Amino acid sequence: MKTKKSSLSAAFFITGLILLGIVVLAFLISIVHTPYDPNLTDVTAKLQAPSSAHLFGTDNFGRDVFSRVLSASKYTIFISFAGVFIAAFLGILTGLPAGYFGGFKDRAIMLFNNSIMCFPGILLALVAVAVFGASMFNVVWALGLVFAPTFARVIRTGTLEIKERDYITQAKVMGASPVRIMTSHILPNLMPQLLPATVIGLANMTLFESGMSYLGLGVQPPDASFGKMLADAQAYMTGAPWLIIFPALMLILYILGLYFISEGLRITLSGGDN
Amino acid sequence: MPDIRHTHILKVHHLSLSFPTRKNPDPAPVLNDVDFSVRDGEILGLIGNSGSGKTMTAMAIAGLLPEGAVITGGSIKFAGRDLVSMSAKNRRKLAGKDIGVIFQEPMTALDPLMKIGKNLEEVLIAHGEKDKAKRHDKICSMLKTVGFPDPESVITRYPHQLSGGQRQRILIASAALMSPRLLICDEPTSSLDTVTTVQILGLLKDLCRSMHMTILFISHDLSAVKNFCDRVMVMKEGRIIDKDNTMDLLSHPKNGYTAELLTNARLDPRILGLERAMVDYTKSPILMTHELNAGYDNARSILKDVDLKIYPHEILGLIGSSGCGKTTLTKAILGIIPHTGDIKYKDSHIGAVFQDPVSCLNPAHTIRWHLTEPLKAAGIKLTKEETEKRILSALFEVGLDEKYLNRRPRQLSGGQRQRVAIAMCLMLDPKLIVADEPFSSLDASSAAEILKLLTDINREKGTSFLLITHNIHIVRQIAPRVVVMDSGRIVEEGLTGDILTSPKSEAAIKLLTAEKELHGSN
Repeated sequence: MKTKKSSLSAAFFITGLILLGIVVLAFLISIVHTPYDPNLTDVTAKLQAPSSAHLFGTDNFGRDVFSRVLSASKYTIFISFAGVFIAAFLGILTGLPAGYFGGFKDRAIMLFNNSIMCFPGILLALVAVAVFGASMFNVVWALGLVFAPTFARVIRTGTLEIKERDYITQAKVMGASPVRIMTSHILPNLMPQLLPATVIGLANMTLFESGMSYLGLGVQPPDASFGKMLADAQAYMTGAPWLIIFPALMLILYILGLYFISEGLRITLSGGDN
Repeated sequence: MPDIRHTHILKVHHLSLSFPTRKNPDPAPVLNDVDFSVRDGEILGLIGNSGSGKTMTAMAIAGLLPEGAVITGGSIKFAGRDLVSMSAKNRRKLAGKDIGVIFQEPMTALDPLMKIGKNLEEVLIAHGEKDKAKRHDKICSMLKTVGFPDPESVITRYPHQLSGGQRQRILIASAALMSPRLLICDEPTSSLDTVTTVQILGLLKDLCRSMHMTILFISHDLSAVKNFCDRVMVMKEGRIIDKDNTMDLLSHPKNGYTAELLTNARLDPRILGLERAMVDYTKSPILMTHELNAGYDNARSILKDVDLKIYPHEILGLIGSSGCGKTTLTKAILGIIPHTGDIKYKDSHIGAVFQDPVSCLNPAHTIRWHLTEPLKAAGIKLTKEETEKRILSALFEVGLDEKYLNRRPRQLSGGQRQRVAIAMCLMLDPKLIVADEPFSSLDASSAAEILKLLTDINREKGTSFLLITHNIHIVRQIAPRVVVMDSGRIVEEGLTGDILTSPKSEAAIKLLTAEKELHGSN
């Protein structure tokens, strides 16, 4: 039933937006104000349990966990969005011409893309960061590159189908250049494929980033990131569980929120006409 | 002796159907109190314009209603059993076995990854024929019945290796395999050329007689209905507004709407007010091709030394059966596929209108964008006011107005989309517009309107047209000169009157015989 479908997708969408909204709110607050400097150490207030002074408690250096969680959400959101932007950009840059021109260009581009996809993504990103140095910008670049082939495939497949439609032939007849056909005739029609891929990309990229930070190759100390906070908290897991609970909770909210949104998108777009 | 109870094999009793949504729980009905019965063994035609509810009626009977459709009242009785209240499981048993369906598009109705034999076998497996050799025998004998002399070679082929007509035969075979008592044909010939249409209709008629099948034939092609159906019903806005014996209904229509449909289908130039431009054949041609060869891969050329001339102000008809190279020729002229040989064209732009009104416009953009795009693509820079003025004048010329500018293609009907496609051509004011089967996906009324639009443009602006169609009737009405193609060659050309009265080439004779058979003395 159409009505059931649209209410289901709306439910997914709203739940996703609420979950995601909590993390985005933390990010927005962190820009304006944090109760403490997130990197300020205070040896007199080590490993304190949550209280009115320190909402989420303090860590082994006496840093305020609440402030650190707020500030970490900033990095998570920035890295995932910037990374997805780069991945989508590179994906479109390679996938569109591959699908549109076909033949040798297609084979060359896809051979390159597929060979990137042969390696485990996280390993490739780790190698890139190890070679070029651990910094936030290198993480963004590395993740963007690793995720680009996925986008390229989605774009290429969609292009292959759309380029056979009459309106593309019509555009050729009018004398539109290939670049124009690809960007303004084909690309807007790829949104149903591109949007869910982007949202899922955000979630996956966040997981990768946390993993890399956990291993110490992502956001560099003393700056806070969820993955790094989890790694540091491991030693105090039994004595100070709040160190693990709050960053983990934020990660879960963010990723779950994204998955819910992409599920809502998928249901809406698959039901729509095309 | 006919069994009295079974005189009517199907009774549709006051059937109503709509698409309720949460926002609008009681929308206008798609089918409104549809009431008719089908006699055992007859061929019943169902005609009407697009959106009149023909297909919905068929789908309701076949149990294939789309998501969201709700039967709000009435019943469908098949051989005494009510289909509406029947469980899905019992319904499936009927599907294919007692009620068969043939769809319009023979390509999408066959699984492209299955060989023909496997495609056909699926039907038998679904209805519990377990013996493999028996299945094979049944399939082969059915393929022979539908006109494949060598069934063994056909079953090993894939759907894309067959022509449209052959695929339609396969679909008929697949529907007839279970020898259903009722066969629903939804526009089975709309995507076929005249010659193939006649063959397919003949085949259906034979099957109907030899297997005692009853056929419900849905079409917007009145001429196909005329010689094929015993009785005809006319649908409009979800209601059946007229029904009678075919001859009575089509030759002496009592209902005003039926008469209007017939007039539109006849495409009478006087009634429709079709008036084309006068052509001066002493002037030099606007487009000339010399020894044109073109194809999709380098090895094989589909066009073979085509010499074509199109004069200023001329509407040139190009006819030929499917696969004769008509579309390849247009693509070569439009410069979309590589070619060898000369194409001399006196202007810088050629307009193009294609067959399928669904895919001819870009669903992601508004109508305004569509009309601006030709200027941008051609690199013509105009001020905002000039662009707006041109857009509006093109839009008015095709009979639309500014309220369409911000709509998207999906909000337009097939005929309106075709108008937008024509308006897009007019933006660049080309001297030649190539129209590739612009009518074949439209119902009779829209086709008549678009035909009138094309002749108006031809007369008022002096635009030449290359009109590709398999509808000889249209060519007869508006094209002064005609070219006949067969296997990539031009086999005959000359004045339309001459060629259509005394054709010399084999291809033209074949087309005309088929047309005569289909349209009768009309």
